[in-house]
Amino acid sequence: MSDREIYLDYAATAPLDPQVAAAMHECLTREFGNPSSLHAAGRRARALVEAARESVAARVGAASERIVFTSGATESNNLALQGVLRRSRGRRVHLVTSRIEHKSVLDVARSLESSGVAVTYVPATAGGSVDAGRVAEAIDDDTQLVSVMHVNNETGVVQDVRAIGEACRERGVLFHVDAAQSVGKLPLALTQLPIDLCSLTAHKLCGPKGVGALYLAPRVTLVPQLHGGEQERSLRAGTLATHQIVGMGKAYELADPEREAPRLAALRDRLWKELAVVEGARSNGDPERRAAHVLNVAFPGVDGESLRFALNDVCVSAGSACAADSPEASHVLTGMGLSDVLAGSSLRFSVGRFTTEDDVVVAAARVAQAVARLRSLARAAPAWCSA
Amino acid sequence: MEYSLAVERRFAAPKKARELPAGSPGLVAGEAEDRTLHVWVRFQLQIVDGVVAAAGFQAFGCPHTLAAASAVAEWLEGRPVEEARTLDVKLVCAELEVPVEKLGKLLRIEDAVAACCRAER
Repeated sequence: MSDREIYLDYAATAPLDPQVAAAMHECLTREFGNPSSLHAAGRRARALVEAARESVAARVGAASERIVFTSGATESNNLALQGVLRRSRGRRVHLVTSRIEHKSVLDVARSLESSGVAVTYVPATAGGSVDAGRVAEAIDDDTQLVSVMHVNNETGVVQDVRAIGEACRERGVLFHVDAAQSVGKLPLALTQLPIDLCSLTAHKLCGPKGVGALYLAPRVTLVPQLHGGEQERSLRAGTLATHQIVGMGKAYELADPEREAPRLAALRDRLWKELAVVEGARSNGDPERRAAHVLNVAFPGVDGESLRFALNDVCVSAGSACAADSPEASHVLTGMGLSDVLAGSSLRFSVGRFTTEDDVVVAAARVAQAVARLRSLARAAPAWCSA
Repeated sequence: MEYSLAVERRFAAPKKARELPAGSPGLVAGEAEDRTLHVWVRFQLQIVDGVVAAAGFQAFGCPHTLAAASAVAEWLEGRPVEEARTLDVKLVCAELEVPVEKLGKLLRIEDAVAACCRAER
């Protein structure tokens, strides 16, 4: 068996597409102007930024003036949640989110809680879905924002953002969606969805790291979180990173979910077919509601940290963050009802633009081999190690 | 998580990861676990004339746990049981450059060996 490195961690980040790199290189070496400058160099840089904005907007079905560039989805989530919820002072403010959101939402929610914002964390179903009815029930008269991700970063489960958004519209509540895992993977037409704010990133669709965007529907007002300039309609101060934005624009231009999703789904299904023969392997998350690029699998009876270490050249992520002496199980998987041990025995595989069928077949064989080896070291282990 | 070269080597090929033949004279076994830390360790010792003639282990746990269990099993062979009773896993931790936050897991190795020694009595 070859020992070449196999990258199956596209949900963490994706390699830069050569066409994106070329566009960024062109910008870095030729167009150094500040897009806010009024002279010719500045105007050329501004034109590049606006062309990228058009590209991003077109990919998500929005008007370009609704796109605000940021440093990535984490900043976009911060701007969305804090920007909305810090508008009101001196009265009760309520946020509704789910227990399976990304840390860049949950940690902001906790920070807001510590400054007096009331937060309701809606639980997930065993299949990893956030039920729109439960979200609607959580909305009260003081709710200003609901935040639910589009595609879960650990399980790939697609949330019903239309139903959740409609529940928000009925109550006059703003709805924020973190689309970091879905943009470029699923068709997204923001103007046709009841979504008011949407966080976007570049690096998960073969664009550069360090750049993202926030979509804002026309009726949304925000308190800026960065001060010191009038850039991005005074919503996000700081000199625009032209080359990063150009790279994001190119990545969004190249992304084609209608064409790519069937290929990714076929790769994911082939991977699962190969892994399913491993005794006890179970797929986490509702397979009927899963995005094409993510597969989360538990391997009972195997310590997750040891499995990841054993895999070495198969680049995958944990279903949980093992924090050494106090292993912290994935809040997403335990939120779906998995035990800490089983959550710790889970791996997230995610495929992307440059993944081949050979990659998934070879990776699955290496995983099966590693699981067998580790289980052989714990043949007499008690039942809790597998439950 | 960083792993030392010693941990890498032992994890890749853990010596003494085995089940000793059932019915061997002087065979004793001991286990220890900590479910909150996701660690379980089982040791078997064959004790002949007060000396550990053979040692084997099984383990469910992190790479440091597997590497340390292997190192301890090797260390035990040829030593008097009385010396086995004084096992200090911290010495193995130092040899393997195990981070201090993993010590809680590795103490279960001491417990499993101690259980073997008690069974020998």
